[in-house]
Amino acid sequence: MMGVKEKKMKAGRGYILHTILKYIVVILVAIIPLIPIWCMYLWLISQSFSGRVILGIVPSNFTINNWRFLWAPIKMGLKEYPNIWPITINTLFLALGTSGLVVFISTLGGYALSRMEFKGRTTLMEFIIALHAFPAIILLIAMFIILNKLGLYGKGIITLMGIILIKAGLECPMASWIIKGFFDSIPWDIEWAALVDGCSRLTAWRRVILPLILPGVGAIAIFSFLSGWSEFLLVFTYVKDETYYTLPVLIYHLIGEFKFIDWGMLAAIGLFYTIPTLIFFSVSQKVLLRIYVGGVKG
Amino acid sequence: MVSVRLINLCKYFGKVKAVDQLNLEIKDREFVALLGPSGCGKTTTLLMIAGIYKPTKGKIYFDEVDVTNWPPKDRNIGMVFQSYALYPHLSVYDNIAFPLKLKKAPKNVIDKKVKEVAKLLRIDELLDRKPAQLSGGQKQRVALARALAKEPDLFLMDEPLSNLDAKLRVFMRAELKRLQKELGITTIYVTHDQVEAMSMADRIAVLNAGRLQQYGTPDELYSKPSNLFVAGFIGAPPMNFVEGSLVEEPNDYLFVTNEFKLSLGLELGELVKKGMKSSEIILGFRPEHVKILIKPEINTIKAKVYVIEPLGRDIIVNVKIGDKVYKVIAPPDIVLKPGQDIWLKLDMDKIHIFDKKTEKAII
Amino acid sequence: MPLIRRGHEKNADSSSSEATKASRRRKILPFLFLLPMLIFICFSWISPVILTIYLSFTDLSIKNLLKFNVKYTLENFEKIFLVEDPYIPEVLKITVFYVASVLSINVVYALILSVAIAYLVKNEILSMILRLSWLLPRITPGIIYALLWIWFIDPTAGMLNKLLMLAGVPKSWLPSSWLLDKPYAQLLLVIVNGYVGASFGMIIYTAAIKSIPPDLINAALVDGATDFQVVRRVIIPLLKWPILFVTAWQTLSLMASYEYILMIWGAGGGGGYAGVARAAGVMVWSLYSYTKAFAEYQYGYAAAISMVLVVIGIILIMIYFRVFGFRRLMAPSRVEV
Repeated sequence: MMGVKEKKMKAGRGYILHTILKYIVVILVAIIPLIPIWCMYLWLISQSFSGRVILGIVPSNFTINNWRFLWAPIKMGLKEYPNIWPITINTLFLALGTSGLVVFISTLGGYALSRMEFKGRTTLMEFIIALHAFPAIILLIAMFIILNKLGLYGKGIITLMGIILIKAGLECPMASWIIKGFFDSIPWDIEWAALVDGCSRLTAWRRVILPLILPGVGAIAIFSFLSGWSEFLLVFTYVKDETYYTLPVLIYHLIGEFKFIDWGMLAAIGLFYTIPTLIFFSVSQKVLLRIYVGGVKG
Repeated sequence: MVSVRLINLCKYFGKVKAVDQLNLEIKDREFVALLGPSGCGKTTTLLMIAGIYKPTKGKIYFDEVDVTNWPPKDRNIGMVFQSYALYPHLSVYDNIAFPLKLKKAPKNVIDKKVKEVAKLLRIDELLDRKPAQLSGGQKQRVALARALAKEPDLFLMDEPLSNLDAKLRVFMRAELKRLQKELGITTIYVTHDQVEAMSMADRIAVLNAGRLQQYGTPDELYSKPSNLFVAGFIGAPPMNFVEGSLVEEPNDYLFVTNEFKLSLGLELGELVKKGMKSSEIILGFRPEHVKILIKPEINTIKAKVYVIEPLGRDIIVNVKIGDKVYKVIAPPDIVLKPGQDIWLKLDMDKIHIFDKKTEKAII
Repeated sequence: MPLIRRGHEKNADSSSSEATKASRRRKILPFLFLLPMLIFICFSWISPVILTIYLSFTDLSIKNLLKFNVKYTLENFEKIFLVEDPYIPEVLKITVFYVASVLSINVVYALILSVAIAYLVKNEILSMILRLSWLLPRITPGIIYALLWIWFIDPTAGMLNKLLMLAGVPKSWLPSSWLLDKPYAQLLLVIVNGYVGASFGMIIYTAAIKSIPPDLINAALVDGATDFQVVRRVIIPLLKWPILFVTAWQTLSLMASYEYILMIWGAGGGGGYAGVARAAGVMVWSLYSYTKAFAEYQYGYAAAISMVLVVIGIILIMIYFRVFGFRRLMAPSRVEV
C-alpha cells in the first residue's frame, strides 16, 4: 500500500517524465526541422550584405557591392541583363493589375453569392470549389495556343496584360469565396435600412455594405497583389523578350545560366524582391492567415 | 400621410406559410400594432409592406395605388429596426442625412432638416458622434431621426423598444405615441408585448401562425376577444380557462366541470346553446373579474389558496380548483393563508365562453 | 411642412408597368453582379479545359502550329496507355512516389506538428513564432524559396552538407550533387514540397484544435489523462473530418504541382525547361506535360498527358462531394463534436 507521500512522489516523477517527453516531441517535430528554414532566411539577409559569409550565416566583409544592381545593369560573365528597375516596374504592373481586377470581380461576385437570390446559386458555389479539380498545367498549354491564335504571344506589354487577365481569372473564385464570407457577416437589417432610406441594391452595395467590409477588401487586395508579385510560370512560359521579364523570371535566369554563381548579388536581388512580401505579411498576418487556408497551390 | 390596405396577403417560404391570407386596412394617420408571439408573421408582414420581401400572393395598396411590386426606395417609408441598423461607418449627422442625400436634396436643405429632426428628438448634441459611441436609447432616437428626416408617408417599426431597459422602454412608449400624434404619420408597429400594443395603438391586429386572429381597438380586444388565442394573449395576468360542458336544466343552464357547477342563467345559457358547435365549451374569466369570498355564497366556485404573490398595488392569488391552478387578482388588504378554502364569485357580465373545437368566442 | 419635394408622382396607371420593370430588374441584377466573375472563370478555367480536350485528339506541334492544319488522331492516348512512349511508366512511378510521400507529410506529419504547436506548446508567443516560421516556405515567392534551397544544397557555399556532418552523418553518405544523384534528388523533391505542404495541414489542423471546447480537454485532464493521452483519445478522434479534408484536397493539389520542381531543377540545372529533371528522376506527370509542350513543342501530346490529370481530378472531386457533402467541404476546420 503506497502512502500519500509516496503516491505524490511517484506522480511527481511521472509528471517530470511527461514534461521531458513533451519537450522532446516539440523540439524534434516542430523546431529541429525549422533549422534549415531559419538558416536559409538568415543567409539571405547576411549574404546580401557580405562579401563573404562565414559558416553560411554569419556575415563578414560588409559591403554594398551586392546591391549594385540598383544602379547599374547586371553583368554576369559576358551576358548583360537589363536594368533592375524596368523589370521591377513590370512586376509591379502585374501585381497591381491582378490586385485591382480581382478586387473588382470578387466584390461584385461575392456579394451576389452572399446576398442575392438566383437560380443555381448552390450549384455555382459547388462549382467554384470543384474548380480545384483542374490542374493549372492545362491552362498553360491551352492559353499558349489561344494567345498565339489571337496574336498576343510574345508581344511584350500586351502579353503581360494577357497574363494579368489570366491571373485574375485564376484568383477570382477563391477571392470571391472569401469576400462572400465577409459579406455574410453584415447583418441584414443594415442593408434593409439602406433600401428603405432610398438606395437601390447597387447603391446600397456601394455606399453602405462595401465600406463595412473594407478590411476584407484590403485583405483580398494584398493577397492577390502578393500572388501577382510571386507569379513565375505564366511569365516564364509566355514572355520571351527580356525587357518584359518580371523579377522572378530574371532571378531564375540569373541562377540558371552561369557556372559560377555570384551568391552575394543573388541574395541581394532575392532580398530586394522579397521585401514587399515580408512587409505585407508582417502588417496583416492575422487576416492573411485566414485567407491562406484556401488560396495557394500545393 | 397614407392609408394602407393589405389584400389577401400571403408569404410562403417553401412549405412554410409565414403569412396566410392577411386582410387588413390601416387608416390614414392611424397607429396600428401588429401583435403576436414570435414567428407569427408580423415582421414578415412589415417587411412586405416595406417592399423588402415580395409577397407570394396578394396585394398591397398605399391609398389607391398598388405598390405590391415597388422597390423600398420608391415607397417613401421610414423604418426603425429592432437593432436600429445604424450605419457604423457614418456619423450620427450622416446617418440622419443619408436618405436626404440619396434624394439629392440641396445641402442647406439637408442641414436644416437634420438639425430640425435632431432637435425634435433631443439628440442635437450627438451629431458628431459615431453609432458605436452611443447608448441604446440614443441609438434608438438616431434611428427614429433617420426615419423621420425624409418626411415619410408611412412609419414602420419593428419592435424598436425591446432592446431598451425597462424604465427607458416605458418612457419611450409614451414619447413615441406623442410623437406620432403630433406628426400625424400613419404608423405600423410590430411587437410581441401586448402591454406595449395596448397602451400605444389605436387599433391592434393580433396575428398567430401567419393568420389574423382579430383586428380591433384595445378595448374591443380586451372585452370582446373573438377567439381563445386573443383572449389568452391580451391581458396580464392572462385570462383563466376552464373546460367543461353545458347542461340544460328546466329553468337554468349550468356550466359543468368535474370540480364545480356554475349557473349561467337562462339568457346566457340560450346564447351559448345556440352558438355551440360541439358539446364541449371553455369558460374564460379574467383574474381581475373575480371576487374572493371567505365564506361560501350561492353560485360560487370552491377553491384552495395555493400561492400568494404580493405586488404592492394588488395581490395575485394563485388558487387551485381540483388540480389546476388559476390566477385571481385581489385587493392588497386581503388576508389569506396557503391551503385556505375560499370561494370565487365571478362577475357574470364579464365571463367568456368559447367553443372548444373552433376556439371561437360564443360570448 | 414638407421641405423636400417629392420626386415621385403616385398615380394608378404607372403601377403595372412599374411592376414588370421592377421584377425584370430584380431578376437580372444578380447576373450583372456575377458577370465579371463568370466571364473570368470561363476564360481562365473552362475554356482551357475544353481546348485541352480538343488538343489531346490532335497532333498539334511546332510543325503545324502556324497554319494549324492538324490531323485528328488517337495516337496521343496510344502513347500513354499502350505505353508507346517508353518514358511514361517512369513518370508514373515518380509521380506516385511523389504524391504518396508528400501526402504523408502534408497529412500525417502536419498533424503531429499541429498538435505540437497548438496543444503541447502552451506559450502563446512561442506557438506563434513556430507557426509563422512554418508558414515562411508557403508565403515566400516560389523563386526565392527555390533560390534558398539551391544555395542550401550547394556542396561548397551551402549549409546542408555542413549541418548533416555536424549531426554526425559520415561524409561518404553525402552526395556530390543533391540535384542529380539518386536517391538524394528524390529525397530533396519530397522535402522541398513537404515544407510547403505541411503548412496547409498546419493551418487547418490548428484551427480545428483551437475550436475544440476547452471543457472537453479539461475534463480529460481532470480524469487523470496525460497530455499524450489527451492527444490520442480526445484531440485526434475529433479531427477526423479535417484529416480527411486535407488528404482529399492535397491529393488534388499534389497531382498538379510542379512549379518548385521546375524552378529548382531548372535554375539549379542550368536554366531552360528543367532538362535535368529527367536525368535526376524527378519528372512528375504534370512537369512531363509541361516539358513536352514547351521544351519539345508537342502540344497535342502534352494536352493528352494533362487530360489524364483532369479526368482523375474530376473523378476525385465527384467522390469528395459525395463523401463529404458540400457543407463539410466548406468548413474543414470545424470540429464535429
